[in-house]
Order: sequence, then structure tokens, then C-alpha cells
Amino acid sequence: MASDPMGSQLRRILSIFFSLSIILPLSSPSPTMHNNNWAVLVCTSRFWFNYRHMANTLSLYRTVKRLGIPDERIILMLADDMACNARNNYPAQVFNNENHQLNLYGDNVEVDYRGYEVTVENFLRVLTGRHEASVPRSKRLLSDEGSHILLYMTGHGGNEFLKFQDTEELQSHDLADAVKQMKEKNRFKELLIMVDTCQAATLFSQLQSPGVVTIGSSMKGENSYSHHLDPDVGVSVVDRFTFYTLAFFERLDMYSNASLNSLFTSYDPTLLMSTAYYRTDLYERPLNMVPVTNFFGSVMKTIPTDSAYPGFLVAHASEYATISAETETARVVLEDEADHSKTYDQSEKGLQHILDEWLKLLEGKLGVKDPEVLVAYGLGSMVLLLTISTWLSS
Amino acid sequence: MEVAEVEAEVEKKATATRSRLIVRLAALLVSHSTLVSVVCCLAGLIALLVLPLLAKNTYISENALLPGSANPVLSYQHVTQANNLIMDIMSIADVKEAPDIEIPKLIAKYMEILGAETYHHKFSQPQNQFHPLYFFSSSPNSPPTLANLSYGTSTVGIIRAPRGDGKEAIVLVSPYNTQNAGGIDASASASSIGLAFSVFSLLSRATWLAKDIIWVASDSRFGDHTSVSAWLNDYHNPNFIGDASSNRIFKRAGTMACGIVFKVVEKERREKYEDRDVVTMYAEASNGQMPNLDLLNVVHYLAVHRQGIRVRIGMFGGLVKSHLVRVLGEVMQQVGRFARSLNPDWRFEMPSSEYVEGTATLASSIYSQALGVPTGPHGAFRDYQVDAVTLELSPRFSLKNEHTRLAFLLKGGRLIEGTVRSVNNLLEKFHQSFFLYFLTAPNKFVSVGVYMIPFAFLVAPLPIIAASLFNLTSNRNPWRWLHTAKPLLITHTWSVVVTLLPFYISKISDLPSTHCMLTWAGGSLMALVILYIVFGSPYSKHVEWRLLKAVMIASVSIGLCLMSIINFATAQIGALFVVPMCLFALPIRVKTNNSLIRSMVMTCNLVMAVLGFPVTAVALMQGVIKGFGTVSILEFWDSMKFLWGWNSATYLYLVLVHLPCWLLFLHILFHPCH
Repeated sequence: MASDPMGSQLRRILSIFFSLSIILPLSSPSPTMHNNNWAVLVCTSRFWFNYRHMANTLSLYRTVKRLGIPDERIILMLADDMACNARNNYPAQVFNNENHQLNLYGDNVEVDYRGYEVTVENFLRVLTGRHEASVPRSKRLLSDEGSHILLYMTGHGGNEFLKFQDTEELQSHDLADAVKQMKEKNRFKELLIMVDTCQAATLFSQLQSPGVVTIGSSMKGENSYSHHLDPDVGVSVVDRFTFYTLAFFERLDMYSNASLNSLFTSYDPTLLMSTAYYRTDLYERPLNMVPVTNFFGSVMKTIPTDSAYPGFLVAHASEYATISAETETARVVLEDEADHSKTYDQSEKGLQHILDEWLKLLEGKLGVKDPEVLVAYGLGSMVLLLTISTWLSS
Repeated sequence: MEVAEVEAEVEKKATATRSRLIVRLAALLVSHSTLVSVVCCLAGLIALLVLPLLAKNTYISENALLPGSANPVLSYQHVTQANNLIMDIMSIADVKEAPDIEIPKLIAKYMEILGAETYHHKFSQPQNQFHPLYFFSSSPNSPPTLANLSYGTSTVGIIRAPRGDGKEAIVLVSPYNTQNAGGIDASASASSIGLAFSVFSLLSRATWLAKDIIWVASDSRFGDHTSVSAWLNDYHNPNFIGDASSNRIFKRAGTMACGIVFKVVEKERREKYEDRDVVTMYAEASNGQMPNLDLLNVVHYLAVHRQGIRVRIGMFGGLVKSHLVRVLGEVMQQVGRFARSLNPDWRFEMPSSEYVEGTATLASSIYSQALGVPTGPHGAFRDYQVDAVTLELSPRFSLKNEHTRLAFLLKGGRLIEGTVRSVNNLLEKFHQSFFLYFLTAPNKFVSVGVYMIPFAFLVAPLPIIAASLFNLTSNRNPWRWLHTAKPLLITHTWSVVVTLLPFYISKISDLPSTHCMLTWAGGSLMALVILYIVFGSPYSKHVEWRLLKAVMIASVSIGLCLMSIINFATAQIGALFVVPMCLFALPIRVKTNNSLIRSMVMTCNLVMAVLGFPVTAVALMQGVIKGFGTVSILEFWDSMKFLWGWNSATYLYLVLVHLPCWLLFLHILFHPCH
């Protein structure tokens, strides 16, 4: 069959068009807004002499609750064998300080995974969302592509692993794989992993997924130490890294502006007796622009959507209404964040960028605001091209 | 055809050399057997002497123990209560007619005030029976019968852990002798009851108990061990048959996590001045079993680093003064210094005084284990696989002064409270640290991997020598050793007879020990003569002395290795006696070229023939340890009775391994050499 110049040109146009039709849907969605917060808090050890790990986790639980993450968005995994342990000098109470001012095991502690339920399997199931059908919603991490997730883990670890209750271990590969699956399934927008174990930094070595920022209590070859011993209870009650994290957060409330950078640089290696290590190469935003409440608190924005019922339509002008007037002034950083994401989009280069421009041009030419009309036109032209191509090939 | 043959031959040679490498190595060793045995024996001796240098510092392996992490809460209030009890006991001992009934009642009354469950445990003195094979079984004591008129009464109190699961218990034992209530050290003896009471009253109010607490105020009129052992036996072997009629109450708590025996001993003023209170730890249980090292570590840590009490363990004072050991210490120090100058990383330099003390302690540790007799009531616990330790607390000042007594009780009580709290934290049985170890200081130990080396060196030449002797014989028949098996069989049959003879002798009551000894010796001799008459002389034509020696060495090495599994320390000391006997044995009539060597070997042989005799060997051992003035050969019967009374496997070793070895040695010595 002889090839005529007309046919080859048409084929080239066709191929470009098809490639466009493949790329367009991928490139078109604008970055999802950060619209909800989750926390997964895991204490991976059990037994009385690991009291401090449970106290660590409960302290973090209390802090994120105080900063606004509601209980139904916190997955708490605890061996939970301390408060009612026969060895506990203060029955049904857990303290993270020898002054006993604050009972961490007061009212409203909702433990989602308790005792022997804290396993590597359950942990990975929570992260990846692959549950058996019978698992209740309260035990699932129901995050979406707009979620910021705080993952806090404490226990005994080593080089590239974290021990789960003396029976199994989570390796850095497992964690990286789970995070990758989460990314694939759009289960988070940004993820902060905070780990307080020995050689915590090694746990992050295999991570590749974008949008992840990690901080560990110690570098490879370093131990993480407990902060102090409670001579009444007879055990160490808190780890150094968590103690200084809590000390940082005690100064904050849910409206404060402190950035992640200020948290990460607050760790003093001489006080910690180890070097807090944070990895940001997978994370796009500069840390000093990210408020800690992006992970440790809850989103304060409400996003009204179009009502399903006519007559209740909300005006577009009132979109992104903030909860109160006073927060509006306090939330400078958040506004910055939005600007930043815009500049980020503009600076993007390559084919997608050109295509976006072309699409805009097309949109302008057509003068149609409603995307459905555009889709209808597109489909029509596709049918047209299909008939032409079949006619040519025959 | 020819080429193929040659090839086949070459192949055969190649396979032969390949398959025979290990055989050739063995042949090389056997052909140089004298050199190998001399080197190995020297290495074994040196390794034994170097053991104190190789001792490591103890450390707490079990994370859960957390010793000293909680502040002690024992207060003066508890101690003053305890002091009241001590005063009451003393007044009863002075005034009342029957302290052996009144004192248990008083203790029970005090226990009940604290809300503890209380009962009395009655036991009688067990008959000292001959049952040396009992070391295989777990419960050494037959159930006591109360038919005996004289019986002791222990008082037992149990505190249930308020939120515990009731599956585990910690046992506190305080021995107290009601017979000696008005005696010299009565105040010290009552103080141990007071000490236990102060801790018990604290624990009865403690909110942190996870294990039940059992306090046994044991009546030690028949010795400390008897009462504890009888109580443990009843605890573990419930008697369902006669219980309802006899109306005996016996209450139990869970399985025992640990036993702590403590007694207060007031040293006489004449003894060496102490600047601190002292606690002496006794750990050796029957047949060289030791409690887990972690238990000793916890006690040592709490005593030294929390309460400022000095910790001692058993030590042979005679060795510290011995010039030989001192010279050795100097040599070790020089060697260590030299090694360090060669390579700064070799840090086994040790001051000579430390080496001397380490050696004396190590010798005591090995000896106590080798004897196979428990050094205190804790031994009864070990028979049920419970880790236990006896603590002997001796105060710095006299206990007659009330203030010093209160201060001492407070210190000792806090030590015990800390230990209980630490063990209370345990989640499993003691298992993290060592069970097989020797101590060279309260905080230094030699672990099993290290102390086996000297024994291995001592035993290694035996099979090599046996093989080389077997090769040297003129007879080439591979079954030639069968003839020599006959004397071996006779000897061992005889040793079995000797082992069992005391059973019949002890049946004859009221015989003084010297008579028993003579009967035993006479019976043994007669048995030997009868055996020879029945089976014929050991010196038949076919029995070459080399073969006899080879067979003897083989049987001895098997015996030593078996004993090293049952009680390593016995095998270690036994090897020091037996191995030279095996290596040097040479008939008097044998002709050699070098007369100087022959005369030296003969002298050694004669010395060993005397010293290797179990009776003299035991006397020698005791002489080295206790001084030679007190030892007499006729005491052998008593020491053997002591051994089988405690079911020590050492008795079996002495009679079933050592004695036949010595007899065969004599056979070789007087071999006619046809």
C-alpha cells in the first residue's frame, strides 16, 4: 500500500490529538485544597518497663486533641496495659511527668487498636485502608486526597526496623511501601511521620512518595533516651524527644502560627542526647511556611459545596468563609500557603504547561464557561475524526 | 589396558588422600601424643589460673527488673512496729515456759493484724536416709510424718496482691530458732523476724504488688534448710488423702518467682572491724546449681548503690594469705603489664591483690559447687527450679542498742523491699542472665563459655593417649581390648558394690562413724577379693599394661564428661586429680632406657597412688580449704554421709568414677609385664 502525503499528515494530527486526550484528564485537576486532618498514633511496645512509650503516645494524643483534631479522626494504637497494670502505683492513671500534674488517662481516651491488636498487619491495614468488611468506620483511616496526616510512632527500633510488641517488626521497606500505596490511592495530601525510637532516622531511608516530611528522634547508630524516671511509679515516664516536642506544643494553642521549621529546629542535641533528623527532600513547601497546626491541629476552613437542592445555593463570593473574624487575621500563613501553590503552578514547565495554555486558548475561543459543553464538543470532534480515519484507512 | 590401570590407581590414590585428611590429622596427633598431652595439660592449668583475669563485671540483663528505680518507702513507722515485735519475742523467750509454742502464736497474731492470711506449718525432722540416686528426682525429701514427737512449727503469712492475678508469688523466709530463744545471738535471731515483719507490713499496704507475698517465719530447730524444704515440699506436693481428718490448713499462692532468705547474724566483736553493714550472699544450691545471675545482680546493685551496704560472698581466707597465690598474682600482674605494652587493647592487667582475692573467691565458688551441697536454705528452692538466695546481714554496731537496731532494720528492710519490688516487675521467670557461672567477686563472674576451656584442655589429651597406646601394643588383633575389658568390668562392678555398701551399714543403728568406716573398708576389700576369686586375676597373659591403660583412660574420660554435665565443678576438680593419674601410669617393672625420667615418673606415680585414693584426696581437699589441723582420715565416713544426706552427685562421682580409676591405676603400677 502506497502512502500518500495527505494520509501521513492526518495520522500525525490524529496521534497528537489522541495523546492530548490521554494527557488532558491527568493534568487538568487543580491541586486539591488541604481540607481535613488525621492522626495515627502508634505505641508499638508493651510490658510495664515500657511505660514511657504509652505515656509518649497518650501525651501526643492529648496534644493533637487539644489542638483540634477530633477523636473520630485519630487512630490510636496502644498496648494499653499500663493504666490498669497491677504494678501501677496510681491505678487507672498514666503520667508523663513525675510531678503527677496531668493524668493522661482521664476521660475520653478512645483507643482504637488495643493490646494484641497492635500488629504490623493492622498498622499496614490502617494506612493502606485495606480492611475486612466487618471493621467499623471508627477503626479506619478514612482520609482523602485533601488530608494532612500525622503519623506518630514510638517503641523500640533499630537499623531500618521498628519492633512491634516483641513479636514482629516493621521494616523501613514496609513503611515506604504502605506510604506509596497511600499515595497511589490518594489517601493523603501531605504526611508527617514522627518517630521516637533508637535509630529512628533509618526508618525513613526507603521512602520515595512525594508530600512526605519525616522527623526521627535519632540518627543511625544513636540511641534515643528516656527523659526522667518517676521514683513513685518506679519507671521512666517519658522519652526525651517526645518530652521536648510536648514542651514545644504546650506553648501553642490551635490558632498559633509556629511553623514546622521552628519545631524541627527546637530540638537541642545536647538535651536530647541524640540528633533529631528530619527529611524534607520529598516535601515541596518550605518548612518555615508550614504551620505546625497543619499536621498537629485541625483545618478551620469550611468549604460549602453546591447544595443538592435548588433554592439553597450559596453565593460564590462567600466561598472559603472562615470560622470567625479574628481567625482571619491570625491565618496569614495559610493565605501565604495558597499564594505559594499558585506560583508553584505557574513555574511548572514542559508539555503539560503548553497544553494547559492551549486548553485555555481553546476555552477562550469557544467562549464557553460550562466545561460540559466543551466535553460535548470534544466528543463530537472525536467522532468526526474517527469516521475520517476509518474512511482514510479503508 | 596399562594406561587405564595406571589411571585407576592414580584416581584411587587421590580419593584415598582426600578421604583420609581427617584421619591423617588424627594420626598426626596420635603420633605426637606425648607432646600434645603435655601442651594440653599445661594449657589447661594455665587457663584455670588465668580465670580470675577473664572474669567480667556483672550487669543486669533483664530489662523488666528496673532495680532501684523506685524510691524505697519503708519508714521508721514500719521499723518501730517491727521493733515492738522483737521486744515481745525477747520477753517471751525470757519469761514463758514454752517459747516454741508461744512465739509462732505471737508472729501469727502480728501477721493477722496486717490482714494477712496466716497458718502454721508443722514438720518433723526427716530421717537421714541413704539415697544417693535421688539427685535425679526433683523432690528430695519424703513427706514428713508427724508421728515423731518432736516437730517444728513455721508460721506462714500470705498477702494477696490487690490487683494481681494471683498466679505468682515472692517468698520471704526468715529462719528463727525457737529452741535457742534465750541464747547468745537471740537478739540477732529475733531481729531477722523483725526485719521480715517490717517489710511485710509495708507490703501489706503496697498498691503496686503484682505477685503475692508469702512470708515464712521458719522454725530452724532442725537446721535452716529442713523447715524450708519441708514447707516447699508440702507446697508443691499437696497431700489429698489425710488432709480432712488431720485438719491441717495449708494455703498457697501462685508459682514462686523468687525466694529471698534473710537472717541477721551478729558477728562477735573480736572479729575484724567493719566500717559498714555487711550482707553476705549465699547462692550455691545442690549439685552446683546456681540461681540466675540477675537475682544476685539486683541484690548487689541495691545493696551497694542504694543502701551503702558492703556485699560479700564466700571466700577461702587461707588462700589470701598463701605465698604461692601471692607470687602467682605478682606474675599475672607482670604478664598483664607486658601484654599491655605489646598492644594497648589487651587490658587484662590486674593488680596482684585483686588477683589473690579473685582466686580465693573463685576457689570457694568452685568448691561449693563441686561439693554439691547447698550453702543455705535457698538450696531447697532450687530443687523446685525457683531462683533463691540467702542473705546474711550483719550489722556494724551492736543490735542491743535500740537506735542502731532501728537504723539497721531500716537499711536492711529497704534492701529487701527494693529486691521485692524489682522482682515484682518481672513478667517471666528469670531467664535472661546466666545460670552457669563462677563468681570471682560479688560483681564479677566467669561464664560457662570461659570456664569450660580449662576442662576441655585437661580432657582433650585422654582419647589421643588412649589411641596411641592402643597402636603401640604388640598384638595386632583389633579385638585385643576385649581381654582388658574384664578387669575393667570387675573394677566397676566392685565400685557399684562399694557405692551400695553404706546403705546396709547405715541400717545398723548406733554404730560410731569410725566403726562404720572400718566396716565399709573391710566390706569393700572383701568384695574385691571375692570378685577376683570368681572372675580370675586381672593379670592374665593377654592383658598388656598398655591396653589396660588405654581402656582405663577411655572409661575415665567417659566418666568425667558425664560428670561435667551433672555437676561441672566436680568434674573440673576431679580432672585435676584423675588426668595426671591417667597420663603418668607406668608399671614399676617396665624397662626404659632413660633412668632419670623413669625415676621421676615413678616418684610421681607413687605420690599419686597415695593422693589419688579417694579417702586421702578428700582429706587433702579439706586440708587445703580448712587447714590441715582439723582433718583426719577417719572422718571420711562423716563427709560421705554428709554428701549422700544432701543427695550430692559428688558421692557417686567419687565412688563410681574416681575410685575405679585409682584401682586400675594401681593395677597398672603393679603390672608384672610378662
